[in-house]
Amino acid sequence: MSAPSVGATDDLAAPPAGRAPMLAEMRHGRWGDLWRAVSRNKKALVGVLLLLLFTVLAIFPGQIAPYSPSATNFPTALGPSWHHLLGTTAYGQDIFSQLVWGTRLSLVIALAVGGVATVLAVLIGVSAGYLGGATDGFLSLVTDVILVLPIFPLIIVIAAYEKNAGLLTLIVVLGVLGWSYGARQVRSQTLSLRRRDFLESARVRGERSSYVILHEILPTMTSLIVAIFLGSAIYAVLTAAGLQFIGLGDPNSQSWGTMLYWAQSNDALLAGIPLWAIAPGVCVALLGASFALLNYAFDEISSPALRVRKLDRRRLPNIAPAPEPSEPIEGVDPPVLKVESLTVAYATDAGPVVAVDHVDLELARGEFLAIVGESGCGKSTLLYAIARLLGAPMAGEIVGGRVLFQGRDLVLLEEQELRAVRWRELSVVMQSAMNALNPVLTVAEQMRDACQAHSNWSKAEIEVRSREVLRLVSIDPVHLHSYPHQLSGGMRQRAMIAMALLFTPDLIIMDEPTSALDVVAQRSLMVQIKELQEELGFAVIFVTHDMSLVSHFSDRLLVMYAGQVAELAETSELFDHPLHPYSQGLLAAFPSLRGPKVRLLGIPGSPPNLANPPPGCRFAPRCPSAEPRCIAAEVALRSVNGSLVRCVLPEDAS
Amino acid sequence: MRFVLRRLGFFVVTLWAAITLNFFIPRLMPGNPAEAMMSRYRGEHLNPQALQALTVAFGLKTHESLVGQYFSYLGNTLRGRFGISLTFFPDPVTKDVLQALPWTLVLVGVTTVLAFLLGTLIGLVGAWRRGGLMDSAMPPIFVITSAFPYFWIAGIAIWLFSLKLGWLPHGGGYDPIDTPAWTWHFAHDAFVHAILPALTILVVSVGGWILTMRNNTIAVLTEDYVRMARAKGLRPWRIMWTYAGRNAILPNLTGFAMSLGFVVAGAILVEYVFNYPGVGYMFLNSVTNEDYALMQGLFLLIVVAVLTAILAADVATALLDPRTRDLR
Repeated sequence: MSAPSVGATDDLAAPPAGRAPMLAEMRHGRWGDLWRAVSRNKKALVGVLLLLLFTVLAIFPGQIAPYSPSATNFPTALGPSWHHLLGTTAYGQDIFSQLVWGTRLSLVIALAVGGVATVLAVLIGVSAGYLGGATDGFLSLVTDVILVLPIFPLIIVIAAYEKNAGLLTLIVVLGVLGWSYGARQVRSQTLSLRRRDFLESARVRGERSSYVILHEILPTMTSLIVAIFLGSAIYAVLTAAGLQFIGLGDPNSQSWGTMLYWAQSNDALLAGIPLWAIAPGVCVALLGASFALLNYAFDEISSPALRVRKLDRRRLPNIAPAPEPSEPIEGVDPPVLKVESLTVAYATDAGPVVAVDHVDLELARGEFLAIVGESGCGKSTLLYAIARLLGAPMAGEIVGGRVLFQGRDLVLLEEQELRAVRWRELSVVMQSAMNALNPVLTVAEQMRDACQAHSNWSKAEIEVRSREVLRLVSIDPVHLHSYPHQLSGGMRQRAMIAMALLFTPDLIIMDEPTSALDVVAQRSLMVQIKELQEELGFAVIFVTHDMSLVSHFSDRLLVMYAGQVAELAETSELFDHPLHPYSQGLLAAFPSLRGPKVRLLGIPGSPPNLANPPPGCRFAPRCPSAEPRCIAAEVALRSVNGSLVRCVLPEDAS
Repeated sequence: MRFVLRRLGFFVVTLWAAITLNFFIPRLMPGNPAEAMMSRYRGEHLNPQALQALTVAFGLKTHESLVGQYFSYLGNTLRGRFGISLTFFPDPVTKDVLQALPWTLVLVGVTTVLAFLLGTLIGLVGAWRRGGLMDSAMPPIFVITSAFPYFWIAGIAIWLFSLKLGWLPHGGGYDPIDTPAWTWHFAHDAFVHAILPALTILVVSVGGWILTMRNNTIAVLTEDYVRMARAKGLRPWRIMWTYAGRNAILPNLTGFAMSLGFVVAGAILVEYVFNYPGVGYMFLNSVTNEDYALMQGLFLLIVVAVLTAILAADVATALLDPRTRDLR
């Protein structure tokens, strides 16, 4: 941070979602998409229509208004009638005509101030963020001073000395004082963009700063710039109306604020001409609201999390029911977890997408099962479906199947019943502890709330247990009362694993728990997980995209592709004799430590779009050995040499 | 603590900027209003003492250089010498300002805190019950109410509740037949007079807090730590407060500075419409009466009040967010 004194907090505290998701989509401005999104959003539509109406009024007041706004040749204080839709003022002017003529000034002020403030905000924000150093320090200081100075009183002070302030003065003053908030946002956006690859590469290519700013930075800020424009337009409409209302500025100008000023000075509400005071206020509010609605809708469009999507179950493909639960066999230890035909769908704007498609798996007590696959293959969704943790942000829903955990079907449990199972019997370790630990609570507090939710241990007992689990993962218990940000990455990850061990559950679900660490730390953490597992006897489901990482630790390996199980086998078996061409491709992507030197081959192409999966075998389009029969019909999972594989090619040796 | 001290330093800079603006604005305006004013006052046959006081207020000492004037102005301002008010002649500005201050502090202070707490709470609960009736009805309603001009709502409130229904007094801070005193009777009277202005400020300002808190909460609900809290089997109440709420309120506190500007502007106009005997009403009156010494003093007071409120928000941020405490 090169601006030492201020603005430090919002970089930490701002929720990361914000406008970022759409920014990627909107790089190099796809206005067509934007327009489609706007037309689908009711709030945006109302905002656009209101704005259109005011624009028409502002351009053609002479054609629309029946009388001149300054004509005083009518009877005074008339009520509404066909001749005078909203009645007349105490001076005998037609209120409706005055309203129509007043639109122009309000709209001009809104657009001009919005424009001036936006240009200044972008110029200053981008300069501060892009140039950095002392320039940034100075510009940020000025921005923050103007941000906290109360602008309205300042404008009044200026207007008090400059009694005959015209329209131009007003626009300049409002614009010059109204850019600071936007500049601050632009600056932090520029700062975060500067760290991105595409900017680095542009700089390495030797592009000029002006090119980088115009062609790389600004297009990604489209939605932020629109928001700044709309925000300052609202501020301009309201502030200008306020100033005119107290009689600053030209009292003979045609504007809603001036109408309100005259209505107020004539006690219009008392004098029986309420419409004189009400109508201009409604107009100010409507114009402000049209900008505000647009702004809000824009926010919704640019951050998808703000919209609620409902899953349309009627549009789902057929889902086969799970088989009847089988009776437990005498003498055989029942599995800890038995997943049957688990199917998960997401609601998207294009309809439901099945991300996990009829997955079956079984996990014995103390077993280590690894799930591998490319990103987007549904492995994390499967994991969170098993733990019944779907919901925002992914908003996936279980649409079929069973998750039998210790004999109970978790899918059927109410949230309250689930709470009793959670953490005592089933705990979760997530990918990044930085995000998974609450930043505002100490590790001790986060362990304590888990303990208090599931036990009646005293504070002292909780403290003892917390220290104990920290020692289990080789963290010195002095760190117990630290906040997450005070720990190193490796320690945070261990602390999260320690937390999962508080009640020594039967099953721990791990979602890429080592991927945020460097190779050495990864390795030592894996060894530790394995040791703990052998010592404490819990079962593990371990999701990773790195097949080589789990090769020495997992008992069985499940390869997922496009939401389906591609292959499920003993780990050593799968490494030695991969059956599915996809597994073979995954293995060929990693160098082998032993064995002959071979060329490393990736898998050409990318996983299919699950909204519209290819017919037959989903891997066929990328498969080097695909045959016509592969795309002729769905390929079922079948048993080959004791492994399960979803491919027609391998022959059963037995 | 370091964080708060650093912010304190920043506010000193801001205050200096405000004082400097106060000094230069009358001088930079076309025709030099400060000089023009002084000659007009001389024409009004003020006694030499008053003229002297006005000279102090503007730092106008014609025999001194601009820089010299500036520094004597700075010195006077820091010692609280703002000169003499014309409206309340021969009261020093400081005295009038201090009389108006408690009215505004109570009215605007209480309603702002109330609006912030209420808005934050409604926004949090609304976002927590995602897709519920409250959540779907909230955004459009409050987007529109927060675009209403304060002064217009104030006018409508007076017309409806005071003139039409006669439930509440239509203006002032207390009944004119009363004299301010520390009695129950007066406190009740002042309270009744404060209801309508307070409700006006509340109704318009609460929307902004609700909407930002709602959106912050929705963003925070997608965070891994909220999912982790669910995985831990915590009670929904606990997740809502200490996992979602405590993290979602942080950007709201940071945004306090921005939103406060709107509230202050609104409050000034609300006091004006209600003839409420506070700082805002006095400020606008000083503009109408061309009582520039009083106006400048009140402007600085408003700046100080806003800075104090923002500093309070910073202290709250430091208390709620351990990361700011550790910033070096």
